[in-house]
Amino acid sequence: MVEVVKKLKETKKKIDSIDFDAHWYRRVFHAFGASFLFYYMLPNEDWINVLKFWIPPAILAFALILEILRLKGKISSQHFFGLRFYEKNRIGSYVFFAFAILILLRFFPQQIAIPCILCACISDPVMGEFRIHYDIKYVYIIGFLLSMSFFMIACYKADIFIMFLISIIGAAGAVIGETKKFWWLDDDFMIQMVPAILLLIIWIALPYFGISIPQENIIYPGLMPW
Amino acid sequence: MKLLKNEIDFRKLVRTEILFMPLLIVLPLVVGFFLIHDWYTRGFLMGNFEYTAQLFFGLIIIIGNIAFDIPFIKSIRELSKKKMK
Repeated sequence: MVEVVKKLKETKKKIDSIDFDAHWYRRVFHAFGASFLFYYMLPNEDWINVLKFWIPPAILAFALILEILRLKGKISSQHFFGLRFYEKNRIGSYVFFAFAILILLRFFPQQIAIPCILCACISDPVMGEFRIHYDIKYVYIIGFLLSMSFFMIACYKADIFIMFLISIIGAAGAVIGETKKFWWLDDDFMIQMVPAILLLIIWIALPYFGISIPQENIIYPGLMPW
Repeated sequence: MKLLKNEIDFRKLVRTEILFMPLLIVLPLVVGFFLIHDWYTRGFLMGNFEYTAQLFFGLIIIIGNIAFDIPFIKSIRELSKKKMK
């Protein structure tokens, strides 16, 4: 028993000795969001489709409940590592981030959803890092080019004109979404939803001009091993 | 960027971020490799170009995550060393 207590104390000491840089923790958390693209790889089996339907909103609901409890003071903010000062009395940006991903996965075609999610997961932290070291105009240029490359890959099956049109508008939307900050609406939400809504309008409008858009998937569902 | 971290007494924390850390680092890499593996088996070996975007997105996820994982892990090591002193 004494040995167990001693080991537990040693483990606790080791865990306490691990210190995190909240800045890099937030960056890694952003990049982690790209994992949600796994959603598209899940096989189209009935029971998996049920899970695909219920698990993402369940995760969001859980995060939302945690945030409400935190804002009501039932859970201490100390349990939420890496929160910014302005998030102390507001819903944390990770909830906005998750909410936008959920909307994109559920309601938008892959060609729009995937690059928009990557803009939030990769372009946003890259722009954040560049903002520390370089002038703001370079930040916008890098953010624009990076986001544009995501949209170009997503639309590589389209005509070159459509590919550039979608890429430029999508990337511009991502950069605008990143720069616009409101107290009540986080840039993690805007960077995903501004380009998504702009592109959805184009997506709906183009067929009326006789221009076809490739409708095939980008990421294909996996096959069950049985 | 001002973080709430400064106000926190770390000794009182249930270290939720430690529980998340392996997931944050490993899961995106697994997803990235899975995308590339799928491109290789169903695309490259079968001569099917429909899977090309999966290769690029897999690479973007892996490179993007490693680019942030390295400074993150370095920061843990440096801060932990400081604390141990």
